Parts: sequence; C-alpha cells; structure tokens
Amino acid sequence: MDSSTTAAPMTSDCETESSSDFSWWPSWRPTSMSLLKAAESKILARIQNNLWARFVKLPNQDRIWTLTLTNKTVHKPAEEPPKTPLVMVHGFGGGVGLWVRNLDGLSRSRPVHAFDLLGFGRSSRPHFPSDAAKAEEQFVDSIERWRQSVGLESMILLGHSLGGYLATSYAIQYPSRVSHLILVDPWGFPERPKAENQESQGTEAVKTFRPPRWVKVIAGIVSFFNPLAVIRAAGPWGPGLVNRFRPDFRRKFEDLFDDDTMTQYIYHCNAQTPSGEVGFRAMSESLGWAKRPMLQRVHLLPPSMPVTMLYGAVSWVDSSSGDKAAEIRGKAHTRVMLIDDASHHVYADQPETFNKVVENICNSVD
Amino acid sequence: MFPIDSQWNISFAGCGFLGIYHIGVASCLLEQAPFLVKNARHIYGASAGALTATALVTGVCLGETGASFFEVAKEARKRFLGPMHPSFNLVKIVRLMLRRTLPAECHHQANGRLGISLTRVTDGENVLVSHFNNKEELIQACICSAYIPVYCGFIPPTLQGVRYVDGGISDNLPLYELKNTITVSPFSGESDICPRDTSTNIHELRFTNTSIQFTLTNLYRVSRALFPPDPMVMKAMCKQGYKDALHFLERNGLLHFNKLHRGPALHVSGEQKQAGGEEEDEEKREAEDKSQVEEKAVMVVDTSSLDEHIIEYLPPALHKALVEACMERKSLVQSLSNLLPVRMASAMMLPYTLPLESAMSLTLRLLEWLPDVQEDVGWIRDQTLKILHHILSRASKSVSRHVSARLFCHLELHHYRSLPSKSSSTSLFPSWVNESSPSVQDVFVRLEQYKKQLLSGVFCINMDLQGSFKAGDLSPDNTTRKDFPALGDRSKPLTRSQSFW
Repeated sequence: MDSSTTAAPMTSDCETESSSDFSWWPSWRPTSMSLLKAAESKILARIQNNLWARFVKLPNQDRIWTLTLTNKTVHKPAEEPPKTPLVMVHGFGGGVGLWVRNLDGLSRSRPVHAFDLLGFGRSSRPHFPSDAAKAEEQFVDSIERWRQSVGLESMILLGHSLGGYLATSYAIQYPSRVSHLILVDPWGFPERPKAENQESQGTEAVKTFRPPRWVKVIAGIVSFFNPLAVIRAAGPWGPGLVNRFRPDFRRKFEDLFDDDTMTQYIYHCNAQTPSGEVGFRAMSESLGWAKRPMLQRVHLLPPSMPVTMLYGAVSWVDSSSGDKAAEIRGKAHTRVMLIDDASHHVYADQPETFNKVVENICNSVD
Repeated sequence: MFPIDSQWNISFAGCGFLGIYHIGVASCLLEQAPFLVKNARHIYGASAGALTATALVTGVCLGETGASFFEVAKEARKRFLGPMHPSFNLVKIVRLMLRRTLPAECHHQANGRLGISLTRVTDGENVLVSHFNNKEELIQACICSAYIPVYCGFIPPTLQGVRYVDGGISDNLPLYELKNTITVSPFSGESDICPRDTSTNIHELRFTNTSIQFTLTNLYRVSRALFPPDPMVMKAMCKQGYKDALHFLERNGLLHFNKLHRGPALHVSGEQKQAGGEEEDEEKREAEDKSQVEEKAVMVVDTSSLDEHIIEYLPPALHKALVEACMERKSLVQSLSNLLPVRMASAMMLPYTLPLESAMSLTLRLLEWLPDVQEDVGWIRDQTLKILHHILSRASKSVSRHVSARLFCHLELHHYRSLPSKSSSTSLFPSWVNESSPSVQDVFVRLEQYKKQLLSGVFCINMDLQGSFKAGDLSPDNTTRKDFPALGDRSKPLTRSQSFW
C-alpha cells in the first residue's frame, strides 16, 4: 500500500474543515464532522470482518474517507493470486455507512473497498465547477487518484445511483482498470425527452402531463438552490425533516438499528457544507436529468468490458434505459437484471439477494 | 412475480380529488383480474382512497362512483374561489353521494375486509377501522377519513364516539410495508401501481408513507389534490390509472392469469372430486402450464398493441360517465360563463356577492349543525380547557425553574458571604452587593419561605422579586403586604391547573 495511506490515528480524523471565520457564531445546523463520525462509527460497529478505515490523501491534498474490508477467518494459501478487489461507490447524498448490510457478505471471498465520494460523507468538500463536464471530470479524477493512492491495479467497480453514473464515466476513461462494471439503479442514463416527441396518446393525455406554467416557474426557482438546501436551511429542525420525509431509511435498517441512527447519519452527511451536491447540480438540469446523459456515451465503453446493470423492480429508475444500453453495446457483454421487491436502494431492501448476485458476478471475474 | 399463492392486500393512497385515478385502477383490476380484488384479504384506503376501497369492497358500480367524483369536482369548480368558497360543503356532498350509492347492507361486506385509515384527534395516532355496525357508520368512517382539518371545517367528526380527522395525516398508505400489499398511488414514486414519469430525479419524499418523487408533474398533481382540475384532466387521470394498473398486471404476469388459471383450475378440482384420478390431474396441469407459458409469450409480444386499446377497455359505465362529464362543459350556459368579460365581472362582483353568499351558507350550515351542537360545543369547551391547562402548566413550570435557579444562585452568594474570609468576597463582588447585603439577604430568605409555602404559586414570587427590587429601600414587611393581593388574584387559575395535574 502507498505510504500516504498508512493508518492515520483515529483521533486526528475529525479535524473539522468547517472552522471558517464564523466559527464563533453559534451554529444554526446541529451538525459537524465529529457528529457525522460518531453516527458512522455506530453503524460501522455492526461490521464483523476486518475493517480498516482511514483517510486516503490524494496528491491534490483532498482526503477520501475509505473503508477496506478483508476476511478475518480464511487465510488463503500464498501461491494463490490475490483476487480482484470490489470497489463500491455510493449514490447521491449517501456515504459508506449505507453499505452496512453488504460489506460483510461481499468481503467474504475478496477484499472490498468502499469510499465516500469527493464532496460527500466524510471526504473533503472542495469547490466544484459549475460546468457539467468539468464537474464530472473532478469526480472521475478523484476516483482515479484514489485508485493510485490505494495502489489497486484493477477492480470490479460497483456504483449505485449517482455512483453508477460516475463509475460508467470512469470506466470510459480508464477502461484498463475496470474488470467488471456493476451498475445498481444508475442515475443519468436516459436522455431528456423533447417536448414534441411525446407519445401520441391523444391530446388529452399530453395535456395532463404538460404541467402548467406556474409549476415550471417553481421548478426554475428550485433549480437555483442546491438539491438539499432545505435540510440545511431548516437548521435545528433538519434531523426531524429527514426523519419525517425519509422514514424508509430507518425502516430499511430496522433489524440493525432500532433508533434513528440511519437518518441521523444521512442528516449529518448532507447538512454540512454542500460540495458534491454542487457538483451534482452542475451535472443535472431541470430536476434530475443528466446534462450529459450516459446513453449517448455507453458505446465508448470497450465492447469486451462486461457490464451488469441491476435494477430494483419497484424503483422509480426505469430499467428500460438498461435495455437500451444493452442494445447499444450488444447483448454479449451486457446484462440487465431486475431484483424483486426492491426500491431504488436495492442493496438495503434485498441485501441477501443483492449480495448473492454481486458475489456471483465477482466470482465470474476470478 | 407477485406471490399469488399467499395472501395479499390492496392499499389505496389518499390523494383528494386525484381519487379519480383510483377509480381507473380499480376498474382495470375488476375487469382484467377480478380474482385479485375478490380474493384480496383486506382492501385499505385513506382519504379518497377509502372511498374507492369502499366501492370495491361493497361491489358498487365503479362507473357510478366515478360519476360521483366528477360531480363533486364540478361542484367545487363551479364557484370563483373553488373549494374554498364558503357555500361549498364537501362533507355534506360526499355524505349524500355515499348514502345514495351504497347498498343498505354494505357493512356486512365491509366488515373485516375493508380497512379505513383515520387519525385520532386526541393523540394524532393512526387507527385502522375495519368493523362497522351499520351503513351509517361506514359512511361516517369514510367522511372522517376524508376530513382534512381547516379545508373541510374546524370541528372533527365523530365515529363510534371518538373524534377523527383525515387518515392521510398519520398514514396515507396503510400497510404499505408488507411485501404482499399492492400499493396504489396517483403520485409517481415507488408504489406498485403509480404513474411512471419519465424523469430521473434523485429526490424522493415520503409523505406519511406515500412515496412521492420530486418531479414537475408530481408538483402539479399535489397542487390538484385539493383544487380539482378540469374534467378533461381528470378523465386523462382516470385513463392513466387504468393504464398503470394494466402495466402492473402485465409486469407480474397476472393479466391472463384469471381466464387461464381460474377456469381450468376450478374445472380440475371438480373433476378430481369425481374421479379421483391423480395421473389425469397431473397431465392436465402440465398441459395447463404449457399453455400458460405460450400465452405469456404471446402476451409479451402483444403488450404494445394492448396499450393503444386501453381506452376501449374502460368499463362502459365509467366511460359513459367520463364522456358525460366532459361533454357538459360545452353547454351554452357554461361556455357563456367562461367568457372573459363574464369571468371578469364575477371577479369584480366578488366583494359584494361573497359576504351575501357566505351569510347564506353560514346560516344553512348552522341549521344543519343544530342536532350536533350540544356534543360539539362540549367538545370545543373540553379542548380549550385542555389547551389552557397545558399552557398554564408549561408556563408555571418554566417560571419556577427560572426563579429557583436565580434563588439558588443568590443563596449560594449569601452562604458564601457568611464565610469567614470576608475580604475575598468584597474584592470579588461589586460594592452594592456587600453594602445592601442584609436587606437583600432578608428578601431572599423570605422569598424562599414563600416558595416553600406556595409550591405552585412560584409565578407570583417572580413578581415579588421584581417588586422588591423596585421598591428599593422599602422594608421586607412592606413588600410582602403589597404582594399578597396579587397572590390572591392569581390563585384561582393556578389552583385549577393544580387540580388538572
């Protein structure tokens, strides 16, 4: 491993970056890096395998919070070649803690790395450019620099939601590093439909789905703000808001935590200075479409690179874009799978099925 | 694949006037997969979903229900302020419609199968009512479930002696968490049957269990939930519901399940009883499976063509209601009143007509209210008393905490003063503390005594303290005398709050 990654003592982990000129001002938002750290450590305490958590310093001084898991019990014979590690990239507004139900299962046979994307979770929160291509570049660059710092030669790259988009972009730029690309409910694939090429369902049908002008005005105003500005603006009521409007997170992890650990974690991930969010806003337009949709670029992936797309059956992400991607790339190396009874957060809704599917894919690599 | 061999429920989300979407869904389920409705263990609903659920359970003609929905929506749209107009009485209209459409013995069918989500007023908890003694109770449950406070009125209705309001406030999609519950929601999100917006928005909200994706169309839908849209839009929504339900059946391979599985399966079991030949039975099953697979393959091919014929699939009664609803708009009077000058005039006249109409409707409402006045007034009195008690107890608690903290601090100071090392205290505290210390100490000691005497009356002590400081040179005796009348004044509400504790 790289020398820069050698175990930083855990105590120095939470040097907050929020110590700006206004640090004397009483905080409106009840959050800080150390609170996030506390919430995360509560979650990570549930992991049984060998866990190595540390900041990986990138050459440009950004720090990426990284978990590495290896199996405790099995000691492989030395002559066996090391297995390709699995690298997991979380989605928008998440962090490594969301993988808590998958890390143990997946690290049984091979090392697993999970990291907080640049600008999310506990990683550094740098400034992001407002240009879509540049913002994407900054994300992808950080992943490549992280890979160099950790010292991985090749990896099985798994991305969920926004992570899926970035993973695809990464695989296009650094195809030699990715031995298998797994996309879980990826964001940003379909192109934004043009207003005129709507399905010819008769004029009435179109009428319903053409929202009136005032809705567009509101949407226009909303798009001036960062997506999660509300929970920051809500200040002391922010955690309550997360609890109220995303009770599903609490329910998904109910068997692990019977209190609101998960919603706390999500709150602290997102209540800090927005950074990755700014990057996301730069890459998206008009409430969630990608400015540079991935379907226009999937043909740039090397045809021989195996790609698996996992979709939750009841997720709002439409699996048809997966089928389209398979059509573009050819069916030989692209597989689209639906996981039943799973919402957008497939890995948390059906952890057993998800782990099994991913493990099978990994075993097909080596 | 939907686990058809186990038990399942259907749950309709609350959505106000978008309930017409549920009608579309329900008619599709009834038409394409009736076993799904007939054999469902429970059918749940909140708010407008409860109305559809009731219609499904009691077997009321859905066309009629749909027509009623349109009627209500039109009634709401008739006036300038829409449903906010004082003469629009939603509760009354819905009650009349329910009385008209529901059969007399509907509570027998509903008992145990129908679950209506309600919010209990006293503690805000969710209640699922599934036992109804008579038709009136069933209607009342529907009314309670749709009773949005402020929008519908201020005095929540009672069911079986308990006050309830809109079920959507506490649980808008009952039992959504069970894997075997088919959830129906007119907002695009992660429900089983819901419109699929072509958007890739990452943000999703959960409004009391209903998953709502943050998209433009959903924003529009939410705004239309309480302010009914144009009948044409409602018609389109109804069709959308039918289409989405069809997609759901298709996705889960339930579409031709009914005709294929139900018929032969019954047939087989009948034969089995007669002959008891197991081999024959086995063979038949195999054949059946094969045909099912073939049918499915055909179905998958046919899906695209199916989509286009949905409109024809709508049940005739519903279709008729839809067409009628849309036709009526074009009548002469309506089109005349829709002209810009006429609308302008009516808007200009509003300041004059509104008070008149309000007065009219108010008297009408008061007259209708007469039978319930006693009960409701009693309830209002209880509520206000409770609120007052709560405020008083909160206030006195916080004041007592405040005062006792202050007293404690000063008493500390007093004890400190009495320590032998006097020199340090003089240097530490400003001179006035030491100079006036005897009188100040005296006041505090006395105040402490009062506090002990009047545990709940601490509120007054705060006044005393202020008074004594203002009085300055007055002797402590003087201050106490001055303060007792004030105490007497306040003792009344305080004792009351004490009795409440």
